[in-house]
Amino acid sequence: DRAMGGPTSHIHSGIVQAREFDDPQGLLEKTEYLLREWVNIFHSPSASRDPTKAFSVFVHQMNVHGILKTDDLITRFFRLSTQMCVDLCYRALADQNSSTPVLVRTKCFHTLDAFVRLIALLVKHSGDASNNATKVNLLNKVLGIVAGVLLQDHEVHLTEFQQLPYHRIFIILFLELNTPEPVLEVINFQVLTAFCHTLHILRPSHAPAFAYAWLELVSHRVFIGRMLAITPQQKGWGMYAQLLIDLFKFLAPFLRNAELSKPVALFYKGTLRVLLVLLHDFPEFLCDYHYSFCDVIPPNCIQMRNLILSAFPRNMRLPDPFTPNLKVDMLQEINHAPRVLSNIASLIQPASFKKDLDNYLKARAPVTFLSELRGHLQVSHEPGLRYNIKLMNALVLYVGTQAIAHIRSKTLQPNMTTIAHSAHMDIFQNLAVDLDTEGRYLFLNAIANQLRYPNSHTHYFSCTLLYLFAEANSEAIQEQITRVLLERLIVNRPHPWGLLITFIELIKNPIYKFWNHEFVHCAPEIEKLFESVARSCMVQKAQ
Amino acid sequence: GVAPLGPAPLQREHQFQLQMLEAAYYHLPHPSDSEKLRAYLPRNPYPLPHYYPQQTLIPHSDTVEFFQRLATESLFFVFYYMEGTKAQYLAAKALKKQSWRFHTKYMMWFQRHEEPKVINEEFEQGTYIYFDYEKWGQRKKEGFTFEYKYLEDRDLN
Repeated sequence: DRAMGGPTSHIHSGIVQAREFDDPQGLLEKTEYLLREWVNIFHSPSASRDPTKAFSVFVHQMNVHGILKTDDLITRFFRLSTQMCVDLCYRALADQNSSTPVLVRTKCFHTLDAFVRLIALLVKHSGDASNNATKVNLLNKVLGIVAGVLLQDHEVHLTEFQQLPYHRIFIILFLELNTPEPVLEVINFQVLTAFCHTLHILRPSHAPAFAYAWLELVSHRVFIGRMLAITPQQKGWGMYAQLLIDLFKFLAPFLRNAELSKPVALFYKGTLRVLLVLLHDFPEFLCDYHYSFCDVIPPNCIQMRNLILSAFPRNMRLPDPFTPNLKVDMLQEINHAPRVLSNIASLIQPASFKKDLDNYLKARAPVTFLSELRGHLQVSHEPGLRYNIKLMNALVLYVGTQAIAHIRSKTLQPNMTTIAHSAHMDIFQNLAVDLDTEGRYLFLNAIANQLRYPNSHTHYFSCTLLYLFAEANSEAIQEQITRVLLERLIVNRPHPWGLLITFIELIKNPIYKFWNHEFVHCAPEIEKLFESVARSCMVQKAQ
Repeated sequence: GVAPLGPAPLQREHQFQLQMLEAAYYHLPHPSDSEKLRAYLPRNPYPLPHYYPQQTLIPHSDTVEFFQRLATESLFFVFYYMEGTKAQYLAAKALKKQSWRFHTKYMMWFQRHEEPKVINEEFEQGTYIYFDYEKWGQRKKEGFTFEYKYLEDRDLN
């Protein structure tokens, strides 16, 4: 932790200090006395008339008791105060039976809100008016201490853990530090950074009993607004994306098994709501980070992924996929590459494999590269866990973007003809043929994840999927392509534009002889399903 | 459910996470946890019959136009009992539009009952109607001096 520089070092030292118990004699009593004093001052009528005076009176008291003498004592003061607030909440909540829930909470908030105001005032007034570093360091330290107390409480209480005090401290402190005041506005970005680091440390996989409160914090309207809208130059986007990745990673093992207990289902529902808000208000954000998000969402979470893949820039008008004779090739947008904020090339590991891949793309040789490809992707023999999904995703997108660049370098445009007979297509065709069902499913999913709004990737991968269907040497491949597309369309809306375009082309264009395939007629319910999809796609069934 | 890759047994750490999440389900956050303390009107969620309006807010009820349609007494109630909320701000705005003026010393709203008898730089004097929040009703005061230094005259934008 020492090696960590910058703001996180203060958070981490706070977390470490939250576990120290060798306090100087009498400090506990002093802290208790001072905290009680402050709670009284905070709620007194005189404080609401003149908050500045009330605060300076209290700071004087802290000085008299020697708390402000050293950083170490201040740190201990905050730790002891946090623990006292937490203890008070545990006692109040244990007393539920003899009191109404509203009263219990009011009692907790009474002390917590006073403590939060004290933190906010100390942060605002620490150092000189212009000394921002001192203020930010203190904030990081306090957040670290609260996080440290939380983690320890979590270890001790386990299933009896109460999220309330921490949830309240974090959200009210966040709101206090985001009020429109010049002194706070200059440090706003550091404040956001501090909270994001803290929330990342307290992510659900680390503090699962805090997960619901964590999700409320991450999805709080003021928090989302600051992270994604108010902060200029999208400087908060990366940090916010990290928190969503934390969220998806936590959910993944439970969603993968598709057996959701009530608590998981509730958490999942909350996640969907956050995604809906983001899709509605910040679609560009979901566009930019779609790759990293899809990388951590299990393949079976179709709707969750569709929410992300359906996002498109607000200034864009998408042509209705059901327009008869829609010429995708004629759309201006398909010449533009979408923004992908992950370094795909660096995800292709090990470096020797990346080197061989680049060599093959350049020379279209040696053929042994193709036969060894599967070995690089397969990591175990356990069904369901055979493949390195992240490597598969990176490989597919990397080869695709290289293919687009390669076609463009010949001053051509990607289409059904230009994408064929190249090193890139060799790789895709080899994967389609050589992989087993599980591997092919993941491979086709990696392709389908690029079928989004009109852009060069959507167009290239749409052509690629259709080409793989047309050139398939077995019905099994065609059945699986159909499956991957269909399973993304039979769920409730939204459906990504590129996905619809691709599927409509497949069932509409006679060259694919879609309706002649056996798997279309394998079962009456499947046949009915296709007919209803065809009807909803408003095309004449090709006989 | 659908699990194309088949179920994967949960690892030990995931079993622990699940157990903790399931425990947390019984200590869920309350809507009030992330709101400023409501001293007079705390949230008190209760299951309502389905035929009652479930949505707390009817559409566009967060506009000045909506607040102007409310009774004056409702505006006073919002002003005194919903401190620090957007509703309080909108109530104050609606009251101002109806020529009520806030007296920062008495913390009460005043409205001219007639043209003031005296108007100068410092104050105006005459008969006013005011709202007494302790007796909870409108009162009339004759010969009252409204000193402008107590006039709350910030532009509410």
